[in-house]
Amino acid sequence: MHTNWEMLGHQWAVDLLKKHLAHNHLRHAYLFTGPDGIGRRALAIHFAQAINHPERIYDPEDTHSQQIARMQHPDLSIVQRQEGDRDIKIEAVRELQRALSLTPYIANSRIALLLDFEQASESASNALLKTLEEPPGRVVLMITAESTDALLPTIVSRCEVIRLRPLPLGMLADGLEKKLKIPKDQAKLLAHLSNGKPGTAIHLAQNPARLEMRSKALDTLHSLLSSSRTDRFAHANRFYRNKPELVDTLAIWLTYWRDVLQQTTSSQTPLINLDRAEEIARVAQQLDTAAAHQATRQLETMLQDLRTNIEPRLAAEALLLRLPTISP
Amino acid sequence: MKVSVLQENLAHGLGIVSRAVAPRTTLPVLANVLVATDEGRLRLSATNLEIGITCWIGAKISDEGSTTVPARTFADLVGTLPDGQVDMDLVVQTQTLHVRSGTSNTDIKCIDAQEFPPMPVPDLRDGVVFNVSDLREMIKQVVFAASSDEARPVLTGVLLTVEDNLVTMAAADGFRLSVRKAELSQGSAQSMKAIIPARALNELARIAGDGDDTVTMSLPPGRGQVIFRTDDVELTSQLIEGSFPDFEQIIPVMHNTRTVVSSAAFLKACKQAEIFARDGSHIARLNITPGDELQPGSVEISAQSEETGSSEAVVEATIEGQPVLIAFNVRYLREVLDVVGTPNVALETTAAAAPGLIRPMGDDGFLHVIMPMHLGG
Repeated sequence: MHTNWEMLGHQWAVDLLKKHLAHNHLRHAYLFTGPDGIGRRALAIHFAQAINHPERIYDPEDTHSQQIARMQHPDLSIVQRQEGDRDIKIEAVRELQRALSLTPYIANSRIALLLDFEQASESASNALLKTLEEPPGRVVLMITAESTDALLPTIVSRCEVIRLRPLPLGMLADGLEKKLKIPKDQAKLLAHLSNGKPGTAIHLAQNPARLEMRSKALDTLHSLLSSSRTDRFAHANRFYRNKPELVDTLAIWLTYWRDVLQQTTSSQTPLINLDRAEEIARVAQQLDTAAAHQATRQLETMLQDLRTNIEPRLAAEALLLRLPTISP
Repeated sequence: MKVSVLQENLAHGLGIVSRAVAPRTTLPVLANVLVATDEGRLRLSATNLEIGITCWIGAKISDEGSTTVPARTFADLVGTLPDGQVDMDLVVQTQTLHVRSGTSNTDIKCIDAQEFPPMPVPDLRDGVVFNVSDLREMIKQVVFAASSDEARPVLTGVLLTVEDNLVTMAAADGFRLSVRKAELSQGSAQSMKAIIPARALNELARIAGDGDDTVTMSLPPGRGQVIFRTDDVELTSQLIEGSFPDFEQIIPVMHNTRTVVSSAAFLKACKQAEIFARDGSHIARLNITPGDELQPGSVEISAQSEETGSSEAVVEATIEGQPVLIAFNVRYLREVLDVVGTPNVALETTAAAAPGLIRPMGDDGFLHVIMPMHLGG
């Protein structure tokens, strides 16, 4: 039946966790690392479902499993950054420790899911160490994070680390087509756009508005490349006002410049913006590697600067003026 | 579901279960009270997944059924209703509870009872039976010594053991230990051992009723829960995982000085010392001087603070053994003297740096150990 726990890819990880379950060798703590959208949380939740299934198998129809999937299970504790907070607070970890000291309410084990733990404050991380060192019985901790580097080494060394990596694009496209019944071309595009990250691909598939926004952003970029300075100024003036949208747009542009940069070096790495292959090839023809590189760098710098207190308007103007000019 | 109850009973029941309601959790249903018909009575239950409280109230049941009602809304509403009969009628499709009393008509939006976490159904045949007032006394004598430091979860609980007809409760926080033993009127067939959160026992003492009622305690095997049940109230608590330190080792077996004082006089002197000690490190010095043929022995209890001043109080005592100067955290002394329950109390000490043992005179069931404080200089 669910040999892969309904995950897209990451078969090796599922097999490893299944082995732990079958041999009753559950670790007290697992750390799932990988970029956003790779499937860390999905894997942790499916694992939790299997742990608390009476027969220790993955079965999405089971009542407990459904409650876990909704993140509303009596024996599932969730720690994550609260909206409006800068980081994960120590109070949240303390509260978790209290819950974990009690026997499980109805299931086999109490599960603690600590999401994006790289966002934890230093004191919260240190408080968690205590639990990792002397875990209460019948408790499994599952931590997700961008990478092991973002955590205290003392946390990493006390967890079984499951490093999730992007899937081969062909494999992801195949999975999207077969499991989510997405048309072949669309599936291929989504695989490229998500850069092999199944979570991101599924999110895009379920939110057509995101895809539309991406098309619009790229159209704008392409037309700006052949626009006059006046037009660029005018655009920058509208552009900087909505910061979240600005960040989103810049991130999309960055994927485009990455593709252009690769084309100028005749690299074989697959394109992200597969549906714009011709347009990217044409832009790349008119630029050399240095120019493409410079544009990419500028976008990266601006994205970074936006996280600090930069004046968005000035930055947007500077960025647009410095973008290379090409003939349409 | 269609039931009629008395406003007074409903308000009383909601007051009892409300302490287990969890208003802010990931499970919205925990902010609700389960309302269900149960063998001719109306059952009200709330749980925060640590403590669950159920209360049964008398009701006239026309139609069986169940739902969960937002606790805050329900309790506030019932509080405003006039004395007398309250009629409740549930529309299952919309999960709306229609509440009618006198001239008022209200509709409350509810959550399906299926969403409510299952509460354990106890098998009370193997239970241990306590007299309510005895149980409350036991709880009072140990629960204050439990730790509030979540970093050591085991010490935030009370160890309860039952062997034959002897029941023992013990709590410790690293600085003091309280142990209460009692005999059961009915022996228990099985021995039991569990660490119960102190919070749950405090709640139990609050809701268990009075006088000659009995409470039945049971530990369903393999569930990690303890259940206390009276005629119309039930409290369940998750147990704390882990093993409790071997507290027998901490209890001093011998002493060099034994001081017997009036509990009330000693308590009063400690309260006086605490007024000054509380600003600093809570230190109270006890200067214990044995008497001779001419005058009785005495304990001088003193405390001082840089800011507020100092206090000294002398209490007459019957003292056997060596004189000793020893310091204790005065809050700990005060808290144990508050619960000893006998007119006289014995303080057994060996040396200034060794723990002191407090026993009520004439009650072998209770003992309390306090670590001394360091007397600098």
